[in-house]
Amino acid sequence: MPTKKILLVDDDPDVRLAMHVRLKANGYETCFASDALSSVTEARKQQPDVIILDLGLPGGDGFLVIERLKRHPSLAVIPIIVVSARDVSGNKERAIKAGAKIYLQKPVDNNELLANIRQTLGEPEQPGDADITGNWKLFA
Amino acid sequence: MRKALQVLVVEDNAGDARLLQEMFSKEKPGSFQLTHLLRMSEALLHLEKGGVDIILLDMGLPDGHGLDTVRRVQAVAPGVPVIVLTGLDDEKLAAEAMKEGAQDYLIKGQIESRALPRALRHAIERHRMQSETDLIRTNQLQFKDNFLSHVSHELRSPLNAIYQFVTILLDKLVGDLNQEQHDYLDIVLRNVKQLQAMIEDLLEVTRGEGGKLTIELQNTSVDEAIVYAVNTLQGAAAAKGITLSTQIAGELPLVCADPTRVRQILIILLDNAIKFTPADGAVKVIARVLKEDPNQLLLQVSDTGRGIAEGMVEQIFERLFQASDPAQAGRQGLGLGLHICKELVTRQGGKIWAESAPGQGAVLSVTLPVFSMRNLLAPSMKTGGTAGPLMLLVAQIEAPAGWLSDAARAEHSQGARELLRRCLHSEQDVLLPKMGSSGAAELFFVVVAADSAGCESLTKRVRQQFDERELEQKAGLVLSTSCHSVETAQRNMGGPKGAPFEWVAAKFQTLVNEELSSRMTANAH
Repeated sequence: MPTKKILLVDDDPDVRLAMHVRLKANGYETCFASDALSSVTEARKQQPDVIILDLGLPGGDGFLVIERLKRHPSLAVIPIIVVSARDVSGNKERAIKAGAKIYLQKPVDNNELLANIRQTLGEPEQPGDADITGNWKLFA
Repeated sequence: MRKALQVLVVEDNAGDARLLQEMFSKEKPGSFQLTHLLRMSEALLHLEKGGVDIILLDMGLPDGHGLDTVRRVQAVAPGVPVIVLTGLDDEKLAAEAMKEGAQDYLIKGQIESRALPRALRHAIERHRMQSETDLIRTNQLQFKDNFLSHVSHELRSPLNAIYQFVTILLDKLVGDLNQEQHDYLDIVLRNVKQLQAMIEDLLEVTRGEGGKLTIELQNTSVDEAIVYAVNTLQGAAAAKGITLSTQIAGELPLVCADPTRVRQILIILLDNAIKFTPADGAVKVIARVLKEDPNQLLLQVSDTGRGIAEGMVEQIFERLFQASDPAQAGRQGLGLGLHICKELVTRQGGKIWAESAPGQGAVLSVTLPVFSMRNLLAPSMKTGGTAGPLMLLVAQIEAPAGWLSDAARAEHSQGARELLRRCLHSEQDVLLPKMGSSGAAELFFVVVAADSAGCESLTKRVRQQFDERELEQKAGLVLSTSCHSVETAQRNMGGPKGAPFEWVAAKFQTLVNEELSSRMTANAH
């Protein structure tokens, strides 16, 4: 099976790097974009299997990116996982309506993110996936 | 030149009114403009038009009496100061009126013409200052909450980056660690988690103030919450040489609460107790039904620490409260734990209080309402007890492919609950809180005040809503429903005549339990 490619869109380079290391360790290939415009260009160039998208981006927010992606027939089929620090209320519905598949609120537990990526790609679950509530998350 | 003050006199006694008019006529022309009305209804109409600077209000009008007059006037014109006019023997009432927001009172027959304009001007000035202070206070609180919320959100991102990279190192994603490196990174992680918890506390408090705190009531086992909380903090207690024990009185009834929140409450209380207890001390969790009120479950966390300073047992629940001697508590945190605790307990219908004598430890007590089918069914029983038919609708949503995560499960469960709630059209139908779930299925119980035909049409509505939201295609969820008649219960009502309500409630509880256990076995196979 070829390695699946994930496009990471986030304006924070630390977040991109941390996700990249995690995903690479789990057997995924990654590519990056840090603003609204380049994320569409990058998606067209790289044809990723999944796009992980932050909402707060320079040069237009994540909603705009979803809209643009959905306009290209070849890009519209790529599943989008929104990962944002914004409150779920309102934003989630808007993102899903625009065409995102999943909405996760930052900070996202690593295992939860991986479980969602696997499910989106139709891959089998892993033992760690179910265990997604670390102690500190109790207060989230 | 100053604009004339617009004075509205509401007084039905012609003599009193004339006296006031005469007094004002002695003032400099153009300084006061008087409008005299006889009735409440006229006054309210006049006030709606605006332009009034002050109201002189008689509290005994043909169409308004007593404190009510003050309330009605203030409801229409909240920004206009009121001076009430009372009789000699009514000073008590006048004092009440001032508590309601009147600025001052004047006793009829004792009004001095020279003092009257001064009283009016003072009342207006006082009122203006008060409104300003109120506005400033509201703005300050709003600012503080916005500020806290903003700061905590901003702190989250860099802290999350630290968390991510520390765990990347600890998970050995980029190479092996020696023991010492591992230990030190563990310390970093522990401190990061502490910071994260503090930030989440801050956000929780601002959420609480904004009314955004989520609480999902269900039948909850306190035993489970105690085991969870004790396990979570056993390590911290052991590290300080503190014995952590539990004392649970027999079999505890379930409570009507949010299990996550009960765990959170217990963790905060235990964490606090451990923090303020010296080495070789003991912390104990006690749980029992409250003797004075069997509808309440009592949870207590006691410690052998230094106790709470005299006169402080109330203050410790205040936001940002800190013990006066921080040296003894080591690192303290933000002083938000008990405040959050109080918010959580109160929002779940319970009470929280502290008892302590300095040097003899402290006992923190929490009550939570016992889960009672009888209380839940009360709305269905409103119309003359059990006269009408009652049905039990059981709805089940299932994710045959398995739930993606606990978060997804909770979310869909919440969504289904809202969907059901929207379908209930009568105030008599009761959607019971979550009673438990099994495997891939989430179960919902609705007590429907209708016959089987009514229950069928409700089922249809639920199905329709479910289809409209395309839950099956989108989320891969399957909905199934069934109706259960409690008719037999009503036919057999001859026997326990004294308490049909209890009897019906018990019948429903049995039905629910049967349903739960049958699904449990069905899903286990």
